[in-house]
Amino acid sequence: MDAGKSTLIGRFLYESGSVADGAIANIEESCRRQGNDFEFAYLLDSLEEERGGQLTIDTTQVFCRDKKGRQWIFIDVPGHRELFRNMLVGSSYADVAVLVVDAERSLREQTKMHSQVLKFLGIRQFIVVINKMDVACYNKKIFLKEKERISGFLRKINIKPACCIPVSAKQGDNLFNNSRRTNWYKGATLIEALAVSCRKPGGNNFRMPVQDIYKLKGKNIIAGRIIAGRIKAGEKVNILPSNKEARVKQIRVFKQSIPAAGFPANVGLILDNSEGLARGMILAKPRLPDVKTRVLAKIFCVYPLKIGERLRFKSATQNVVAHIKRIDTVWGSADFKAMPKIGLLRQADLAEIVIAVEQPVVTERFEDRNSLGRFVLESKEREICAVGIIV
Amino acid sequence: MKNNSYLDELESKSIYIIREAYWEYKEKLAILWSMGKDSTTLVHLARKAFFGHLPLPVIHIDTGFKFRQIYEFRSKYAAIWDLDLKIVRNDIALKEEISPVNGGRFACCTQLKTEALKQAILDYHLRALLVAIRRDEHAIRAKERYFSARDKSFKWDYQNQPMELWAEHYKTKSQAGAHFRIHPLLHWREIDIWKYIERERLPVVDLYFSRHKKRYRSIGCQCCCQPVASTANTVEKIIKEIRDTNIAERSGRSQDKEREYMMQKLRSLGYM
Repeated sequence: MDAGKSTLIGRFLYESGSVADGAIANIEESCRRQGNDFEFAYLLDSLEEERGGQLTIDTTQVFCRDKKGRQWIFIDVPGHRELFRNMLVGSSYADVAVLVVDAERSLREQTKMHSQVLKFLGIRQFIVVINKMDVACYNKKIFLKEKERISGFLRKINIKPACCIPVSAKQGDNLFNNSRRTNWYKGATLIEALAVSCRKPGGNNFRMPVQDIYKLKGKNIIAGRIIAGRIKAGEKVNILPSNKEARVKQIRVFKQSIPAAGFPANVGLILDNSEGLARGMILAKPRLPDVKTRVLAKIFCVYPLKIGERLRFKSATQNVVAHIKRIDTVWGSADFKAMPKIGLLRQADLAEIVIAVEQPVVTERFEDRNSLGRFVLESKEREICAVGIIV
Repeated sequence: MKNNSYLDELESKSIYIIREAYWEYKEKLAILWSMGKDSTTLVHLARKAFFGHLPLPVIHIDTGFKFRQIYEFRSKYAAIWDLDLKIVRNDIALKEEISPVNGGRFACCTQLKTEALKQAILDYHLRALLVAIRRDEHAIRAKERYFSARDKSFKWDYQNQPMELWAEHYKTKSQAGAHFRIHPLLHWREIDIWKYIERERLPVVDLYFSRHKKRYRSIGCQCCCQPVASTANTVEKIIKEIRDTNIAERSGRSQDKEREYMMQKLRSLGYM
């Protein structure tokens, strides 16, 4: 919060040459009218309420392309605690996390919570940016002290950042070029740190959640997205959770039949027997995912939750009535220390729980990195009240 | 077909969202088609999602101020693609001869687009619309969700948007009288659209191609669109031009610029 995330992205966009002509002039004009200094954050904070309040309210995404043609999507998220729902939304799309901390203000609760949430969502690559080095007079001691403080915390929760960079987003230090004002720093600039990022799709076994069934010329077409692996016409697949078998007669894409398809294609399968098939079932082969009526999971609570409360468990296209059966461990969001059990989860709690589902669900460990390893819990009001991963 | 895994991923996300929308709203879902490059891409993606047979109507909000080429394109491809095309107009406002000159741009956009859309939603009993906006078009659009609720009076509660995760779990229910805007192209950039048009060999309105050293990068009403200097007269050249330019895509669109936060105000009232 207020550590300069939006300013950092705005400045990075500007330095990379990704800002459209006229955008800078518009912001100058807007800042002048408000009597403020130039704000790079306005490239992202587009709402009147955001500019007026000098904060990011909702998540946003911007595209960035440098002169060498390398490309990134930056996702900006709000830092304020009351807005952490919006932080979750943005973070769910990320591959790499850039933690921005203020050199002048020690490690704050939000930074701890964000780190924990990002790790929880499956992000493995972390970059730490110690921002506002200009305010800290580019002082090496201040940087090292902050670096030690944040690294110490991250070590405790098993995050090993790729690097820790002294930056002034406002002045542009160490974003694209090593700054002379921090000549004591010999590490990577932000662009160098970002150049190593990558992501993995989800595993080699074929997985296709049934999304819908369309009738076309008297035939049932099983529509869905292949979330992992490949399928060929003629192959056998298992239909879960019932564990029936069927043979793929045709793979349809647009107006054609194709011999084979794989992640991430949206296809339509014509099976030799599609009786009883419905949305929410999972087609899989050769190694099969788990079928469960009790799900052991870790969840991050967006709203308070009680044992026994009627909820919906949603994973891929599965949507099943569920409730929390047991709460095993709760870690509070402030310090992530295990808390005494009270049968109740508060907002922003992280917990290991057992979920009872009314019909069997198909799951996979989150490490396999596909949609069957993650889920949301929905309240009666159809609002997402928790984000979860299968353990 | 060229192998391009990046475009495949963009397409995959979009088709998934289109099918989710149809699963959720069935016959209460329609596509907004302005015949521009983005909504034409959206129509194509929807045709792909449903194996060539579009099960939903396609709506054109006709302000009466569109370019002749746009109307020609509309009749040609509505027939070729066998679209269930519905043309909607705010006839009362048109009778009163509202225009950017008579009433101002803000009122003109609100009356001829937003109000016409309100009428269409009532007339066709719609609960949801597929709309081809993209995050990189405008900083306000970058704030959008894939499934975005509008209340009874069409207001967008941008300060209190619901959670949405992994482009996979959305909030799809809202209070009575409300409708949803669904944005399957949110994650595409202008250049991605053109690369996809090239790959899929999609037709686009001629106005996008250079004539007399000028072309339109974004098309809407004739009175509120300005062409940009350009010699790009093929899709390939347009892709190259966008790669090298620093001029904003909607720089020729007046409604974005008349005053500060105009787009935010228009959108909060139900503009696309």
